[in-house]
Amino acid sequence: MSGYYLQLMTNGIIAGAVYALFAVGLTLVYGVFRFINFAHGELIAWGAYLTLAFSALIPFGAAIFPAVALTVLIALTQERYVYAPLRKKTGITLLIASIGLSYFLRNGLRLLWGSDLQSFGFEAARGLVFFGITVSRTQIAMFLAAVIFLGFVWGLLRFTMLGKGLRAAADSLELAEIVGIDMKKIRRAVWIISAVFAASGGILIAIDTNLEPMMGIANLLKAFAAVLLGGAGNVWGALLGGLFIGIAENLGVAFFSPGYKDAISFALIIAILLFKPTGIFAIMKGMR
Amino acid sequence: MDYLYHILVIALIYVIFASSLNLELGYAGLYNFGHVAFFAIGAYTSALLSLAGFSPAASMAIAVLCSAASGALLAVPALRLSGDYFGIATLAFGELARLFALNERWLTKGPMGLPGIPRPLGIEAGISGIPVYFFFTVTITAAVLLILRKTTMSPFGRALKVVREDEFVARAFGKNVFSLKVRAVAMGSLFAGLAGALYAHFVTYISPYDFSLNETILVLLCVVLGGKGTLSGPVLGAFVIILFQELLRFLPIPTDWGRFVSPIQGMIYGAVLVILMLKRPEGIIPEHRT
Repeated sequence: MSGYYLQLMTNGIIAGAVYALFAVGLTLVYGVFRFINFAHGELIAWGAYLTLAFSALIPFGAAIFPAVALTVLIALTQERYVYAPLRKKTGITLLIASIGLSYFLRNGLRLLWGSDLQSFGFEAARGLVFFGITVSRTQIAMFLAAVIFLGFVWGLLRFTMLGKGLRAAADSLELAEIVGIDMKKIRRAVWIISAVFAASGGILIAIDTNLEPMMGIANLLKAFAAVLLGGAGNVWGALLGGLFIGIAENLGVAFFSPGYKDAISFALIIAILLFKPTGIFAIMKGMR
Repeated sequence: MDYLYHILVIALIYVIFASSLNLELGYAGLYNFGHVAFFAIGAYTSALLSLAGFSPAASMAIAVLCSAASGALLAVPALRLSGDYFGIATLAFGELARLFALNERWLTKGPMGLPGIPRPLGIEAGISGIPVYFFFTVTITAAVLLILRKTTMSPFGRALKVVREDEFVARAFGKNVFSLKVRAVAMGSLFAGLAGALYAHFVTYISPYDFSLNETILVLLCVVLGGKGTLSGPVLGAFVIILFQELLRFLPIPTDWGRFVSPIQGMIYGAVLVILMLKRPEGIIPEHRT
């Protein structure tokens, strides 16, 4: 019986690692730009769908790269034409604009690829068994990719000048600008990281399950919960928050009807906001 | 002709729905992104009660009070949050409400939905009852708009605008900001519930798919496009959006292109929302500021 819970726990950690990827991107944007990017979910979905489109032309492994690059381009375009002109407005104006953008991009997906479920068409491989716990190859790839990407962010923030700039900008955008940090570079870096993470996570989730136009918004709401758990703008908090959501969701299956799997993150969002709006895993004060 | 009445009824229901959101978003500055939940509570409560044998008119009255009460219940804790966090919390509440309707089959029959909801005041079911239902809806909409006009021009309405502009000033004038906001949300939820109940008894079939995030975005668009913080803005916004949506059906589009219509429509809505924020955040009818 304990093997059952251990299996759920493992599934949870793997799902959580991918949620962490989404949450770190989302929280970075919040940390630097101070608004909740509702269109983040659409980067997840577009990454997956673009890979589907390119994999019809070139091998799957190669298709990932142009797909991720195009997703980054989408993120930079929305920054250039929507978010940058609205920079001086309130967070709510930006939030509504990003809701509009997300609706635009989601319907763009439906226009190009239709609303039906699609998949990359990999055959279901037999899982590998470690100590009685079954793990599929995709799941291992998901976990490894998440660890590599998150390790990259850690190195970036910790050891590079760009990372220092990012931390400074998250602390105070104005002060960072005053001391002469190149804000253009910082803004671009934030969008690139957030888009690359979103697209790669989206591709991994699509390999594991399937593609559908609502996949972005579904994962976005989980990323919201993770970001809030970690305290908005806090990178390491978002990471732990993502893991927590993944584990809570999968363990929850043992206790609630599976139909409520998604409800767990929504209930968490409300509970955190009400009882501890600064986040539970708000360790190390933001990105330091 | 019946079809025209059908469109007008839907437009009027959206007038009430948008105006109720406007009371929170436009007047009190509360960005409620889960407003569709109260539309759903109104629709489901009224449908379930009338299917259980209550008279439809009584069911609607009870449903409206239920929405108002649940609005107040959500508002009391959620109003501790400000700005975009309030938005995210209400968004989560809206999705929770939809998941509840989808999963609690014993109550809501889940994804199968509730068919055969009777119309109130003995209005016939089916197409023949539509014109009468139209006049019923016109009367209710007119009453709602009158009440909203009275409310927003009253000291309560003016106090809400002060809260929106500057909470500290409102407090300095001795206003109880929290109570003002709770009353705004309760009243907004009341009218959203009324719109939901009107919808359920009109279309006579509801399912959880009628109350998704899309409806939230649609009603938000009605308010923002028409002009938030004005009485006539959401009315205009609702008519523009619903008429646009219905008129699209009459365009001579080849049938095999049909599947492109709904995504393109969605893209237009999204783009309009973005362009409004960029170029004209006050909407078509700007709020009169003195």
